[in-house]
Amino acid sequence: MFSLQLFSANPNPFLRPKPYPKSKRTHVSSVLQWNRKPELAGETPRVVVITSGKGGVGKTTTTANVGLSLARLGFSVVAIDADVGLRNLDLLLGLESRVNYTVVEVLNGDCRLDQALVRDKRWSNFELLCISKPRSKLPIGFGGKALVWLVDALKAREGGSPDFIIIDCPAGIDAGFITAITPANEAVLVTTPDITSLRDADRVTGLLECDGIRDIKMIVNRVRTDMIKGEDMMSVLDVQEMLGLALLGVIPEDSEVIRSTNRGYPLVLNNPPTLAGLAFEQAAWRLVEQDSMKAVMAEEEPKKRGFFSFFGG
Amino acid sequence: MASIWLLQFPSLTFQHRVSSNGTSLLLHHRHCLSQRLNWIPPTPKRTFSMRAINDSMSSEEDNRTQNEVVDTANSTLVVDSKHPLTLFQESITSFPPVGFLMKNFPKNYFAMGLCITIAIMVVALRAYAERKSSQSHPGSVADLVRRGQLRSDRRGISRPLKYDDPFNNPLVKVGKSNSTVEMCGKQYRLAPVTLTEEQQAIHQKRRSRAYQWKRPTVFLKEGDSIPPDVDPDTIRWIPANHPFATTASDIDEDLAQNNVYQQRGVPFRIQAEHDALQRKLEALQKEEKLNNLFIDSRNAKDFQRPFKLNDKSEEPVEQGPINDSRVETKPTKPERVSNSSESNLSSEEMQQP
Repeated sequence: MFSLQLFSANPNPFLRPKPYPKSKRTHVSSVLQWNRKPELAGETPRVVVITSGKGGVGKTTTTANVGLSLARLGFSVVAIDADVGLRNLDLLLGLESRVNYTVVEVLNGDCRLDQALVRDKRWSNFELLCISKPRSKLPIGFGGKALVWLVDALKAREGGSPDFIIIDCPAGIDAGFITAITPANEAVLVTTPDITSLRDADRVTGLLECDGIRDIKMIVNRVRTDMIKGEDMMSVLDVQEMLGLALLGVIPEDSEVIRSTNRGYPLVLNNPPTLAGLAFEQAAWRLVEQDSMKAVMAEEEPKKRGFFSFFGG
Repeated sequence: MASIWLLQFPSLTFQHRVSSNGTSLLLHHRHCLSQRLNWIPPTPKRTFSMRAINDSMSSEEDNRTQNEVVDTANSTLVVDSKHPLTLFQESITSFPPVGFLMKNFPKNYFAMGLCITIAIMVVALRAYAERKSSQSHPGSVADLVRRGQLRSDRRGISRPLKYDDPFNNPLVKVGKSNSTVEMCGKQYRLAPVTLTEEQQAIHQKRRSRAYQWKRPTVFLKEGDSIPPDVDPDTIRWIPANHPFATTASDIDEDLAQNNVYQQRGVPFRIQAEHDALQRKLEALQKEEKLNNLFIDSRNAKDFQRPFKLNDKSEEPVEQGPINDSRVETKPTKPERVSNSSESNLSSEEMQQP
C-alpha cells in the first residue's frame, strides 16, 4: 500500500512516467526501497520557511518529518526553530536534552555557531539550531538580521554548505513571523481543511508574496478521507481552489503523530511506515525536485459484487 | 477424517525354529509388544485358518496347531505383556489377508479405496485453505513484505522489491477503464488537480490588493517623532510594555555579527571573561607581593608602630583605619575589630579572589 498521493510528475496517471536518467545509481537509505535519489533542483542552500499563520496545524511536525526525510534521502539539513519564546522542535526530534547553546548565546559570544548546532545521532547530516528567548529585550529588526547572518555563516562554514535550511516559523504574523521569513527564498504553507485555517493561510500567503517570496507551496494536513466522502470536510481540491497554491503534499490524519511526539521519534522513522509518514516522505521528495501534486485521491464506496462475481463475472 | 493406523514393530527378528521333532512352527518375537502397543483392535469377525507347512510335521500336530490359530483369531486380541508368541499370533490373525479380501470382497476394496482417496483430498483441501487464509490475513507484517514496504531479506524471504520513486508503485492497482485505485482494502478515485497558472495569477492579484504590507524597517516607541523621508508603511510602533521588543539598540551589531561568523577559537565573551579574570588575578598577585613586604607575624608589632605616629594607640580599634583602608580596596570584605591578628586576617582576605 502506498500513500494517498500517487502522481506528481505525470499529468496522465495511466501513462508510465518517463524514465529518469539511470546513469547514477546511488544507494539511498530509507525504509522504503528506492532505486534512485531525488534530483536536487534550485540553488543550494535552499532556505525554506514552514509557516501557517494559525497555530496547531502541524508546522513543527512538518518541519521535523520533512527535515528528517530529506536527511534520510542523503541531503544535509539544518533545521532552525525560529520560535523565540515557545521552543518545540527539539521535543519532536527528541533532542531536548542536548540543546545547551542557542542563537542567543552565539550572538552574545558565549559560544560559536558550530557549538550551538545539535547533530542528530540517528542521521548525522541533520542538525538542529534553536533560538532561545533572550534575557533582555531585543530590537525587532535585529532578529531578522541575525537570521540572515546565520544563514550566511552556515553557507560559509568549513564543513560545507547545507543543502537545505528549514526554518520553523512561529504562529501569527507579528515579530516572530517577520523574523523567520527574512532569510527565506521559498515557503511551505501548512494548513488544515477548515475555514479558520484557510483564512489565516490566505493572509500569510499575501504577506509572503509582499515580502518577495514567490515560491509558495501548500501542505494540507490532517485530512480525513472518510469525512470528505461524507461531505463533512472540505476536499483538498476545494482547499486548493480557495487558496490558489500548488500542492506539495496531503497528509492524512494519523494518531501515530501524537505517539511519535511523545517518544521524540518522528513519524517518518517508523518501521513499518505509516500513511502519514509515507505522505511526508513523498512531500520531501517533491520539495527536493521542486515538484507539485498533479492528482489527489478521493475515497469512494467499494464496488458491490454481484452473485456471479464469485465465478469471475 | 479417516484415520489410518499402522502397526509398527520397532525391530523384529523372527526366528524360524523347527523343533527337533518338527511338530510346530515357532515365530519368536524378541521385543515385547506390550511396551509399544496398547490398543484393542476390532474383533475379527471371520476366522482364518493358517497353515504352517512343514515337511517334518505330522498330520496330527498340524491339525492341532491350526485349531489353536483359529481359536485365537476368534477371540478379541488384546496385546498385553503375555507371551510374545501369543501376542504376535493374535496380531497376525486380526489382519485379514489382503489377497483374500481382494479375491472375495472386491466391493469392499473399492469402497475402502474411495474413502481413502476422499480423505486425502479433504486433507489437502483443508491445508490449502488454511494457507490461503493465513496469506490473506489483512494487516500482518507479511503483507508489508509482500508489497515491498519492508525489507524481506531480514526474514529470509526473497529479495525486496525496489522501484524508482515513490510515485509509480507497481503494487498499487490502478484501474485502466476508470481512474480508480485500490489500496488498503479501500477504493479511491483519482481526481486531477484543476488549478491552472491563470487561476494562480488571479489569486496572486487578489492577495496583493487585499494584503498590502511592507516589511517594517523603522521602529519607534510612543512619543517619538517620525523621521522625514521615511515611508510611513515601514514604521512600526513598539509599545513600552512589549514583552521582548524594544527600540533601543544596546547591542553592538558588529560584534554580534562577528560572533556569528566566528568558526574557530574561543568565543568572544568567554575570551573576554577569561582576560578579565586574568587581569584581576595579576592585580591580586601584585598586591599580594606588596602586602608581603609589610605583613609578617614576627614583625607585627613593628608593623603597628608607624601608625602610632598618626595619634593612634595600640588598641585594636586603632587598627581600624588601616583595615578600613585595605577594606576599601576590597568592598566585599566584612568589618572586623582591629587587631594584629585581624590585620593578618584582612590581608589574607585580600588575597582571596
